[in-house]
Amino acid sequence: MKSLRVWLTVLLCGVLWISVSSCFNASPAYISTSKTRNIHLIVKMNKGDYWNTLKLGAEAAAKEFNVNLTFKAPDSESDIEEQVVMVEESIKEKADVIILAASSYMGLAQVVDQAAYSRIPVISVDAEVGSAKVRTYVGSNGYEAGQKSAERLIQLLGGYGEIGIINFTNSSLTPDSGKTGSIDYGARDADEREKGFLNYAARFPNVKVVQIAYTSSSTSDAENLTREMLNKYPGLRGIATLNEIASQGAARVIQGLERDSVKMIAFDSSPSMMESLQDGTVQATVIQNPFSNGYLAVKYAVEALEGMDIPERVDTGTKLIDLENMLWPENQKLLFPFVR
Amino acid sequence: MNKPRGYFFPLRPGSRKSGRLRLSSKLRSIQLIITLTFMAVTAAVAVIVSIMLYGKFANTAEENANLNMQQIIEQVNYNLELYVKGMGSIFATAEKQITSTPSIDSPLLYERMDTLMSSREDLVSVAVFTPQGKYVVGTPGQTMRMNTGLESQSWFTTAKRTSEISYSAPHIQNLFKGRYTWVVSISKLIQYRENGELRTGVLLLDFNFRTIDELSKQVKLGKRGYAYILDPLGNIVYHPQQQLIYAGLKYENVEPVLEYAYRSYLDESTGEKRFITVRTLAQTGWKIVGVAYYDEIVTTKRDLNQFLAWFLAVVLVCVIAVSVFLSWLIASPIRKLERTVKQVAEGDLNTPINVSGAYEVEQLSRRFNMMLQRIRQLMEQIIYEQETKRKGELEVLQSQINPHFLYNTLNSVIRLAERGKTDEVVTMIQSLSRFFRISLSKGKNIITIQEELDHIRHYLVIQSFRFKNKFRYEITAQEEVLECQTIKLILQPIVENALYHGIEMLPDEGLISITAGLQDGLILIRVSDNGLGMSRETVNGILSGSVKSTSGSGVGVRNVHERIGLYYGREYGLAFQSELEEGTVVTIVFPALPAGEAMDKQKEETNL
Repeated sequence: MKSLRVWLTVLLCGVLWISVSSCFNASPAYISTSKTRNIHLIVKMNKGDYWNTLKLGAEAAAKEFNVNLTFKAPDSESDIEEQVVMVEESIKEKADVIILAASSYMGLAQVVDQAAYSRIPVISVDAEVGSAKVRTYVGSNGYEAGQKSAERLIQLLGGYGEIGIINFTNSSLTPDSGKTGSIDYGARDADEREKGFLNYAARFPNVKVVQIAYTSSSTSDAENLTREMLNKYPGLRGIATLNEIASQGAARVIQGLERDSVKMIAFDSSPSMMESLQDGTVQATVIQNPFSNGYLAVKYAVEALEGMDIPERVDTGTKLIDLENMLWPENQKLLFPFVR
Repeated sequence: MNKPRGYFFPLRPGSRKSGRLRLSSKLRSIQLIITLTFMAVTAAVAVIVSIMLYGKFANTAEENANLNMQQIIEQVNYNLELYVKGMGSIFATAEKQITSTPSIDSPLLYERMDTLMSSREDLVSVAVFTPQGKYVVGTPGQTMRMNTGLESQSWFTTAKRTSEISYSAPHIQNLFKGRYTWVVSISKLIQYRENGELRTGVLLLDFNFRTIDELSKQVKLGKRGYAYILDPLGNIVYHPQQQLIYAGLKYENVEPVLEYAYRSYLDESTGEKRFITVRTLAQTGWKIVGVAYYDEIVTTKRDLNQFLAWFLAVVLVCVIAVSVFLSWLIASPIRKLERTVKQVAEGDLNTPINVSGAYEVEQLSRRFNMMLQRIRQLMEQIIYEQETKRKGELEVLQSQINPHFLYNTLNSVIRLAERGKTDEVVTMIQSLSRFFRISLSKGKNIITIQEELDHIRHYLVIQSFRFKNKFRYEITAQEEVLECQTIKLILQPIVENALYHGIEMLPDEGLISITAGLQDGLILIRVSDNGLGMSRETVNGILSGSVKSTSGSGVGVRNVHERIGLYYGREYGLAFQSELEEGTVVTIVFPALPAGEAMDKQKEETNL
């Protein structure tokens, strides 16, 4: 009888202890920010407003989700090897996740597979990479962006005329014939934009894309290409540039010409591009959402680490900005990164 | 002294137990009970206290966090108010300088404006426009861009609409070439003179938004908390994640914010619990909204709870240690006592018990020791009594065949025979024969009083021959006494004593009178003589054994006394009354027992 009482006491104590400790340790259900994650963000280039804004977005998310963000980028958009080396380094440094804006669709494919083999999830941002191991793509739809650009340019031209395109890719190795090689080392986004543009333009029989030039990552190169193009096709009525560098170079040339006859649709929103937009050199620019790209890439990286289901593809959208809507409050933030 | 095991305190049959039973009895040990009880009570108290403290602290933490946040927002509000007030006063200065200048394009005004510009780092530009939107004057001297859309910008339209000073929401200033700056514009319709003419214009002061941005950015409400600013229409003026809001990735529930100027509440519209604090800026009507995440307060709670868990663990460990020690302290002397008692129970009565410890245990040990001592004493006494009894019996037996008595008697018989006194010889031999038959009594110890009286009569008959009729005797007994039981041979030593010490030396004829009677259930046998008597010392000495008879059968009077005491109890025995020269009366007292009962007593006695 007495021993029964003793056992009951012991049992009671145990139950009390367990119940108390369990009610103390109730954990809330949300993305845990108690753990610091190491996420490596590797983009195409370490300069340019576009990438800075993307980095700002990534940093905002890093702060929110307690992420230790390592930012890496080569000096030039065409430096594929450097980017490969950076991914390899991140694998060696055992990053929790690698977020990659691939300079080359195929050129980075192998190293991404390697990362996946080391059980490091890879999220691609802005530009896709030719690997099935990528967990998700966060960025704009390049094809759609190309179509938007073409639509506005053709509209501005009244539906006829010669058009020149200045695109970007790794084609500095094989200038003017970047797409002829058996292996496509170009960046996927450049490719998609061009495809979108051309497919849209193809609907208009009077519109002729006379030349597609490819620039490496320098404005002066873009300037030269534009000048060459204008010299070669004096009847050129419209130019579409498909990235920031190309846009800046072309805009500079057109502004210097003081020639209203050439309409230009640019890409991305550097301050100088805004200036060109306001003074009428450029009629419109297609902008992406680099801040959202950076932010969402990091956010999904954290969710992937948490074992949550993440979408396969996240389209952050594109917008066509012209003089009219550039000062709309909702666009100001996109066009002019907050405080520099 | 060493008795066989278990003789006095046989082990209880239940003391040899099975293993299971022994385990459970171990669980019932004082030590375990104390330990567990102590632990349970202390743990329960600690848990209850912890829960109470937790509740209290958690609430306080929440309140503090809330209060802290309100204070921070208050501070930001104050700083911003101060800053906006500063902007207002700069504007007033600028306005005064412009209106007081006779001509708007005077170099003096430029100089003054420049001074004003340099006094404030965050002042981006000062400019005056005509109500039609034409640029009149400004500093620093800039060229205006094309396509500014100035006429539709809010600072311009608002200034034209009201005469009050108006503050714009932060926006990109696109008026002047060279830069796109995030500014807050202050504007107002003013009067100025140009070439002596009084004109109306719009004065615009652009302040870099960086200061406000930084003031707000510095707000740290926990790890993730932040502050944002709303204008009175509900547009977000500043938000640390404004891009995310424009991109639709974030959402702020501004409706409840707009309803109140001064408020704190809990908001769950974004799916997460957040504390919202609202304060409103006086000049601009902007609302500073502090946002703190509830789970960060919970983090404090979690810290607290972790601490409490540790605290409880430590307390429990301490309690276990203390209770084990304490119970050991209490239980160990008891266990020692138990071991010693067990040893005693197993028969070792000499085991000393000197257990120190708690007062009770010490007392118990002492009492037990005393008890043991008493047991030892009693045992010794029993042994002594047994020995005495046996010796007495032996003496009785010896007296039964006392050769000296026999020899004397036979001598008397021979003398009587020589004188030819045949009758006397016959009487003598007859008496002797009866005397011995009763003496032997087939080995029985208990005989009837009748037999005892017969025995003494035969003795007296024999002795009267020997003492040549120097004494007379008379034996009287009540009828009901005769069938009562008595120990045999209790009268002979007394009578012998009376003859040899009282009557032998007496010059006159002696008289021995024996009466047996019943009184209050007691048998009283009185032996009186008229002999020499005894002194008081001698009387006292007889029963204590210090006076020994030197002649006679050797069966002492004291022996009789002790035997009666042994058989019937200490309160029974002999009593002497004696006067020198008068004689002695010896009274034998013992309970009257009918035949059957005495047999039991006898049996018991033979068993011993």
